[in-house]
Amino acid sequence: MKTTAAAVLLLFQVAMIVYARFVPSRYFCWAPFDIQTEYRLQVKVDGRELSAKEVRARYRRPQNGTDNRSPQHVMDIVQGYEESYGRGNPAHVVMRFRVNGKEEQVWRWPPQ
Amino acid sequence: MAAAITGPSWNPLRCGGTMLPVNLLVMAKAIAIALLLTNHVALLPDPFLPFIPGLDLLPPVLFQRTLQVVFVASAFALLFNRSVRLSAFVLGMTIIVSVLASKAYYGNNKTFCGFILFLTGLYEPARGPWMIRLQLVLVYFGAGSNKLLDPDWRSGVFFQNWAVNRLHQPLFLAISSYLPALVLAKAISWFTIATELGLSVVFLVRRLYPLGIWGNLVLHSSMLFFTGSTFTMFFYAMTASMLAFASWPTSPMLVIFDGDCGFCALTKGWVERLDLEHLLEWRPYQSGVGSRYGISDADAAKRLYLINGDRIYSGFRAFKMMVLCNPVSYLVTYTVLAAPGPGDSRFRNIVVAILLVLFSPLFQPAGDALYALVARNRRSLVANSNCSIE
Repeated sequence: MKTTAAAVLLLFQVAMIVYARFVPSRYFCWAPFDIQTEYRLQVKVDGRELSAKEVRARYRRPQNGTDNRSPQHVMDIVQGYEESYGRGNPAHVVMRFRVNGKEEQVWRWPPQ
Repeated sequence: MAAAITGPSWNPLRCGGTMLPVNLLVMAKAIAIALLLTNHVALLPDPFLPFIPGLDLLPPVLFQRTLQVVFVASAFALLFNRSVRLSAFVLGMTIIVSVLASKAYYGNNKTFCGFILFLTGLYEPARGPWMIRLQLVLVYFGAGSNKLLDPDWRSGVFFQNWAVNRLHQPLFLAISSYLPALVLAKAISWFTIATELGLSVVFLVRRLYPLGIWGNLVLHSSMLFFTGSTFTMFFYAMTASMLAFASWPTSPMLVIFDGDCGFCALTKGWVERLDLEHLLEWRPYQSGVGSRYGISDADAAKRLYLINGDRIYSGFRAFKMMVLCNPVSYLVTYTVLAAPGPGDSRFRNIVVAILLVLFSPLFQPAGDALYALVARNRRSLVANSNCSIE
């Protein structure tokens, strides 16, 4: 039983390492500090722009910050929130970000 | 004869007589100490965008408080040697559940701590710590392969941006100013990739474990010095996990010392006070015990000897082994390292640097010379130096 539990946990990680080759996110695949994502979130609810404090309260991420992982992780949080908890109070989000200091990219929610 | 190791003690510095081997318990305790001292309990989340759907339907405050109580209780139970496998398992599970419950909490360092403690809880004596060792293999393989397949790592772009724009690392800036663009960043990137992938192989081969342990310590200490960050729990947990690769003595080790020397007797007294597992059996060379191991009285008069199974250590190396085989060394070290908290700490960096140098094979000649100097003058170091074997 113990051996099976350990083997399942280890095999799950092997699967996630392989899976990470096909998706932009990097969950449970051991990619610590492999990407530097500098990002800025502009969030509007009912036409009003949220303050930095409100953005942090909404997504539990700073409005301007650096995430040491894939930008997809920040996008997942924003998208996940808007598709669940934020459904009754939808926001328009513009995320400007740079990966490893390269050119700025823009991601929007809802997608246009 | 040394006292036999008895049942679990309430003394947190003791690690013998439990359901875990001493090295694994020291590893788990070192992680628990770092978790407690860095106040990790405050980071444990309420459910927020969980990886497992439905976890956020649980009452958030109750969920978080329960996790916090179980986390602290299991960490202290582990430290005080209470049901150590179960305690490690439960402590690991609280972290794993926290990771699964919140994408905002998710992090590699937390996941690693959770998995290592969870696997420690699943330890079976008949099978050894294979699962913990494979965990390390996977971590290094995942990290190394991800970097290798990332163009920004291969070109040095990631490292250049990190060191220059994020860390403003003065040493990197100084050296790279003498070199063509990206050369230093590229060199460090490829060194990191090679080290991580190399470690994933080294940890599969038993006779290469010492190389792997040193590779791990140098890699993670370098990251600590370079960034000033422990990456929350990563530095503590990655270095502590090396204990799963250490070969730990299973029976008392024999120490052959000069019984006619006050300084030696004084040293013996200090070491014995810290030898809570009674792992050292001290015998004066004047008893003739050395001849059983091919050690002449003339050699034993010059330096101390340590016998561990079929291995014989002497002088500075013997002292290093006594320190390395004592759980107290690790528990005190991790307490000292984690005490400054999660932020940058010059004090922590200095302690790590001193320990690395002292235990490095490169320091061996200097250590031997220092030992020889003390040994030559040992009779004049302690006033009233009396014969202790009268």
